[in-house]
Amino acid sequence: MFFIPAFVIRPFRYQSPRALALAISVKSWAPIVTLILGLATLVLAGILWKRVSTLGRSLAIFALIVGVGSAVMARQNYFEWMFHPIAVAGFVPASSAKLSGNEMVMALRIGGEARAYPIVQMAYHHIFNETIAGMPVVVTY
Amino acid sequence: MWKRVAGKRELHFYLAGINNQNFLMRDRETGSWWQQANGRAIAGPLAGSVLELVPNDELSFALWKAESPQGIVLAPVVGREKEYDQKWEEETAKYPTPFSFSGHGLADRDVVLGIAIGQQARAFPLTKVRGATPVMDRVAGTSVALVTGPDNVSVRIFRAQLHGNDIELYRDAGSEWRLIDSNGNTWNFAGCATDGPAKGKCLEKINYLKDYWFDWKNYNPQTTVYSR
Repeated sequence: MFFIPAFVIRPFRYQSPRALALAISVKSWAPIVTLILGLATLVLAGILWKRVSTLGRSLAIFALIVGVGSAVMARQNYFEWMFHPIAVAGFVPASSAKLSGNEMVMALRIGGEARAYPIVQMAYHHIFNETIAGMPVVVTY
Repeated sequence: MWKRVAGKRELHFYLAGINNQNFLMRDRETGSWWQQANGRAIAGPLAGSVLELVPNDELSFALWKAESPQGIVLAPVVGREKEYDQKWEEETAKYPTPFSFSGHGLADRDVVLGIAIGQQARAFPLTKVRGATPVMDRVAGTSVALVTGPDNVSVRIFRAQLHGNDIELYRDAGSEWRLIDSNGNTWNFAGCATDGPAKGKCLEKINYLKDYWFDWKNYNPQTTVYSR
């Protein structure tokens, strides 16, 4: 249940609307189902440990890794590992910003406040939740 | 850029996936999934909702600074500076596109400026738009002007209408950047008249999406293409 959504929602690969809907559906069930299955593999491995051969134990360990690994990974947002979100934003005045003149920025002007978001930074972070002049805005790139 | 609001509720978004080269985001409040390309929720409690677009600009820092000297700039996140890749566009271009739309004389990764007025979507190839001469066009009966700024890189799109009449914009032939019309008005890059009978009035700015051709076409299958 971890692998299906991870397989479908891959960058640079075409995702049909149906495949995406399936992936989202699986993803919503994945945390609880993988947790139950992960715990089940743990219990089963514990029960069988003394009774099986070395091969059996290797299989049990493999099953444990897959079971528990999936349970852990189903709760991770690895997209945020690839593209760290902006936790705390800092701003500098236009006059002291260390950008070269030809660097491209996205700009917002709301209620007299003007803010610029360098594209090189937003192309990495992708999302930034902002509030400008009282208006909640999400900056995306 | 979108207003982070659904109904009366303020939403906080986070990155949740990549979908056909746009990204998917989710809101922490309901867990709904939203598409970056059109601000539409495709799954979850808010499925079907569409975020309100916030007018914004893409321009060079020098030009922005000249227009907004009191503005503030997002600082690099401390510790993440190494991740910011000046060459990100070149690197992304090496990957395949999820689908391909041949025809219209455009390659999949050609950059277009996409606008949607009424029911009509139109793509303007960036190479045809950037230049000394403003591009005048008509979309859904509305006269539009695509103007390149003094830095030769930033582009703004305006509704080319004053008092209900269509106007045509020209670049003055001199060495300095100067935008004029046939009624004796001089306009700045913000679309406001600095001289002439219309002094003080501003043209309506039209929001566009700067996108790869394949992506714009995917989300706007009926789009026309500017090809003059």
